[in-house]
Amino acid sequence: MGRMAVDIGGTFTDLVHFDDQTGALVAEKSLTTPKDLTNGVLNSIKLADIESETITFFVHGGTTVINAITERKGAKTALITTKGFRDVLEIARGNRPDLYNLRFQKPKPFVPRRLRFEVEERLDASGNIIKPLSIKELEDIVKICISENVEAIAVVFLHSYSSPQHEIICAEYLRKNLPDISITASHEITREWREYERANTAVLNAYVQPTVQKYFNRLQSTLLKQGFNCPMHAMQSNGGSASFTWAKSHPITLVESGPSAGVNAAALVGSLCKEDNVIYLDIGGTTAKCSVIKNNQIDVTTEYKLEWSRINPGYPVKVPVVDIVEIGTGGGSIAWFDEVGSLKVGPVSAGAEPGPACYSQGGSKPTVTDAKLITGVLDPDYFAGGRIKLDIQKAKKAMETIAKGLNTDVISAAESVIRLADADMINALKLISIQRGHDPRDFVLVVGGGGGAMHAATLGRDLGVREVIVPRYPGYFSAWGMLATEPRRDFVMTHLMRADKIRISNIKNIFDDLRNESYSYFKTDKDIVSSSIRLEARIDLRYQGQEHWVGVPVNINSISIDKLIDDFHVEHERTYTFKLDNSPIELVNFHLTATASVPRPHLNEISSDNINILKGRRRVLFSEDGEHETQVLDRESLPAGYIAKGPLLIEEKSATTLIHPGQKLRVDEIGFLHIS
Amino acid sequence: MSENSYRSTVPDLVTHEIIRGKLLAAADEMGIVIARCSMSPVIYEVLDFACGVCDPRGQLIVQTNGITLFTGTFGLQVKSILRRFADDIKPGDVFMTNDPFDGGTHTCDIALIKPVFINDNLEAFAIAVAHWSEVGGAVAGSISPSATEIYQEGIRFPGLRVCRDDIVQQDILELIRENTRLPTMCIGDFNAELAAVRIAETRLREIFDKYGSEVVRDTYSYILDSSELLSLQAIKQLPNGIYYANDYVDGDGITNEQIPVCAEVRISDDKMTFDFTGSSPQRDGPINCAYGALSSAVKTVFKALVDPQGPSNEGWFRPLTIICPEGTIFTATKPAPTGWYYEGSAQASELVWRALAELAPDKLSAGSYMSLCGAYFFGEDPSTKEMFVHIEPAIGGWGAQSNCDGTGALIATTDGDTYNYSIELFEAKFPLRINKYALNTEGGVGAGRWRGGFGVIREFEVLINGAHTYCSFGRNIETPWGLMGGKNGSLNYMEIVSGDSVERISRISHKDLNSGDLVRIVTGGGGGFGKPYKRPVKEVQEDFLDGYINKETAEKDFGVSLDENGNVDSNLTATLRLGDH
Repeated sequence: MGRMAVDIGGTFTDLVHFDDQTGALVAEKSLTTPKDLTNGVLNSIKLADIESETITFFVHGGTTVINAITERKGAKTALITTKGFRDVLEIARGNRPDLYNLRFQKPKPFVPRRLRFEVEERLDASGNIIKPLSIKELEDIVKICISENVEAIAVVFLHSYSSPQHEIICAEYLRKNLPDISITASHEITREWREYERANTAVLNAYVQPTVQKYFNRLQSTLLKQGFNCPMHAMQSNGGSASFTWAKSHPITLVESGPSAGVNAAALVGSLCKEDNVIYLDIGGTTAKCSVIKNNQIDVTTEYKLEWSRINPGYPVKVPVVDIVEIGTGGGSIAWFDEVGSLKVGPVSAGAEPGPACYSQGGSKPTVTDAKLITGVLDPDYFAGGRIKLDIQKAKKAMETIAKGLNTDVISAAESVIRLADADMINALKLISIQRGHDPRDFVLVVGGGGGAMHAATLGRDLGVREVIVPRYPGYFSAWGMLATEPRRDFVMTHLMRADKIRISNIKNIFDDLRNESYSYFKTDKDIVSSSIRLEARIDLRYQGQEHWVGVPVNINSISIDKLIDDFHVEHERTYTFKLDNSPIELVNFHLTATASVPRPHLNEISSDNINILKGRRRVLFSEDGEHETQVLDRESLPAGYIAKGPLLIEEKSATTLIHPGQKLRVDEIGFLHIS
Repeated sequence: MSENSYRSTVPDLVTHEIIRGKLLAAADEMGIVIARCSMSPVIYEVLDFACGVCDPRGQLIVQTNGITLFTGTFGLQVKSILRRFADDIKPGDVFMTNDPFDGGTHTCDIALIKPVFINDNLEAFAIAVAHWSEVGGAVAGSISPSATEIYQEGIRFPGLRVCRDDIVQQDILELIRENTRLPTMCIGDFNAELAAVRIAETRLREIFDKYGSEVVRDTYSYILDSSELLSLQAIKQLPNGIYYANDYVDGDGITNEQIPVCAEVRISDDKMTFDFTGSSPQRDGPINCAYGALSSAVKTVFKALVDPQGPSNEGWFRPLTIICPEGTIFTATKPAPTGWYYEGSAQASELVWRALAELAPDKLSAGSYMSLCGAYFFGEDPSTKEMFVHIEPAIGGWGAQSNCDGTGALIATTDGDTYNYSIELFEAKFPLRINKYALNTEGGVGAGRWRGGFGVIREFEVLINGAHTYCSFGRNIETPWGLMGGKNGSLNYMEIVSGDSVERISRISHKDLNSGDLVRIVTGGGGGFGKPYKRPVKEVQEDFLDGYINKETAEKDFGVSLDENGNVDSNLTATLRLGDH
């Protein structure tokens, strides 16, 4: 019996299979097939030689949702909203983050004005009816939607976070009268306040729903035909999975499934190493992503914004998404000089095509990967296990422009490029750790992705973490994380209350409702086979008058308001350096995370025989630590319990790990590298 | 860890870039701290704040801005502290100033300045400024649209030492508590700013410990010099010449008359001079700004011209000279009121912008609704018996661009990453209801090959008796200007419906509101770019189908004849479009 995870990326479709009995792990890749993604999945299954009937759990991750949005290839979508407010989607928040750009343009709404309809209805902030919903007006809208060939409709009424009654009636009416059209009512996706954010979330869900539905239906029936008769799950953005059935009606929750799988894998690495506090770093070709796992809890937020940047307000999506900071520096990032000769790295990347200069695929610009080759970190003959031959001359030639600009030699230029790239990544790592009140000394740094391992030791040291951990198969990190995923759902509800006016029963009632909702969610889904459900609760509180809140974990079986308030003061002071003892406090959002426990894969212990670990030696430049003759060790041969001192290089097919002079390496029983 | 090896290395370009990154990250972190822990909605929602680091001489090194109004004020404020305290600046000090006549903006914007000492040497100033909701004075919120002296605009802190040896001087907090209407909020905001300058000190200390004073001071010069170089190059691209614009400020809060203002921009090789001589003397009403805000106004447009995305510092602005005699509407002196200083500042930006728009259509758009259109609502909420104050800047239409329509419903130049107020949040908090939030298609936009962006209509229904409002809306007579043959946009105003009476207002210091009254905030559409008949018929038709324009506008402004369903009458359209319009 075994479990299978498939991660569909832009270039490759990765498959990881775990045999529950033997503990064996198999990883395979095939090319992604954009025309029909199902083919790529089947190819990988074939390569990995999977017997369909042995699979007990299948998890799928991919970019279908985010691609439909970025390429603007979703459905023709309409919006139905409260009278007076159809322009809210276009007005958005009116902000201009690109302050000095006097030609600023806003992101365009996903529904054109002519398909944004208003109906008579109105609730107040407490959910009381001010004006009843006009079904009569809905009749006319249905007619227009038919004549305009609308494929999906989002319904968003003011204050539906407080009471969804009108949205429920409206959605029911539409589903009855427009059975072939995808209908999304905003409260089905989010129960938080802020009308623009909720509207945008509902609209994007509707926009991608037909595409996702079609794809999952096809994949499911193809796999069934192949004999896969197991529960099928989609990786969500919150670090957990959901059944295909649920994912098809809530597709927007899949928007960041890849990074979410990576963070999930990092949490697993943490728990395997008995480390509760983890900083996760994944360095890809164009970007680096990082996230913090505290007390073995991944950080999930509903403040996610698609296409956001420092100068673009993006599109808010209020579904639970792992909290990730992404920066435009990765292995393919290009080094360049601005008009006045300041050296910069990224955000432009050579990507996979043409790739860094050393790939010999036509790229001529100097990248971080070229710099790593020039400084001796990468072996030109053993990149991607020797599948890609790296040309050091091409790398050096590309780096000459940088050397000239800095008035130095090619090697120092390469070193400078690495230092700058590392500095960018350090700033991002500090943003998620120190700037959010965490002390890096309480954390370990876990790296995933192919590029992370050769930067990790430098970054870990600069950040001051206790230890850097490089897990096995870092190149298959996301798929590996999916394998370890558990079905999970996050419930978030806005309920504004003053702490001095509430009773314990108010809070209990809310959590009871949420708990019942979560039980019925897991019970009705036949694709979830679980013995137990774990519940974790949190309340967001703030001082009255504040906008932002601080989340405080609560035990729903023994809630104490006094303790809640005390914890809030402490947490507020930790996060913001002060507390206000006599200010009134408000409760804002109630969170309940429900996770169905499934056994996680246990990795086999590796051998402790010390044979043939030395692959060779080469000279490597370690930035400010200088140049050193360095041993190169073979990752696959490293025995459990092995201890050595840097400088060292550890090579494996999907990654190269660099260890500075003075740093210590330890290999644990399951083959993870620990650098301190 | 080879901490010392960095110091022995010759400081190079790369180290400077790394330190620059760290300084920017420190300024960012200050901003995060303020936005997250301040208590005034105007700070955390509107992001009416800025943070930065200046060198020991008061030159701005890095800055993070929520809005553009603070672009030029930091250096002036730090220099004012240097002047005032000279040799008496000690480790553990924090200074506070909100003096418009000493580099500040208006009394509500409180700056906290913390000198940073490393090994007993003054190495930097951390500065944070934020708009507090209340600083006392004639009206709640402190900025009376009809104030005639600064004394009516709350307390002025002329540069006070609020911390000594890192201990807050409680007497000063007491003074604040006793002279403001929302003392808890004020102290909360004070704490937020204090946390920000303290975090900056911690980060600066880390940077200096790692790289040493000499290297970091070199980085200061590197940052300033490289930005200056970029500015010089950008100015050289512009043709030498003298460029001129004039305009009117529509009323000052005391009178509704139009007040003339003008600017001359002189470009000579790599120098640029902005001369506001000839603009009206300072006014009785509070739409004046002082030199600090004028400087922000000029620098904002200049930054748009040279490099909108590069992080701001004093280096960019070295090639600029600003000329304006004392005592004008842009260089007000004591005791002129400056509560609504952004009206003056916005106008100064627009003058420069307009003078240069035809020179750099790839960097600048046509005229916008311009004014922040600030409105206040306040009163006592009968359900809580507590006083409420709601301040809201309104978003509006921006001008068309050389290659696309103007952006609609966008915050004015003076602000930035400023959010409008969520209707759901608003209704949960205040005893008013919002009946409508829509694009102002009725008022329309400036026609052109590219049309302006739309303003908005926001209609409030008052749910209690005994509420009040006041407001100050500019551009209520003079419409936003079109560019290269584009037509002008539409006006801003407030409309109050009480029973049968409908009243149009632009700047008013007080208006009582009762249950059932409607208050409409209406903002204008931006100016057009290029001649309207050059707009493709298809685009006019699309605008009609989306309900942005009606049949009449299509015909009158764009020369396109449509039927009820949006079908084009080609013959009639061809005839209509014969003229040069």
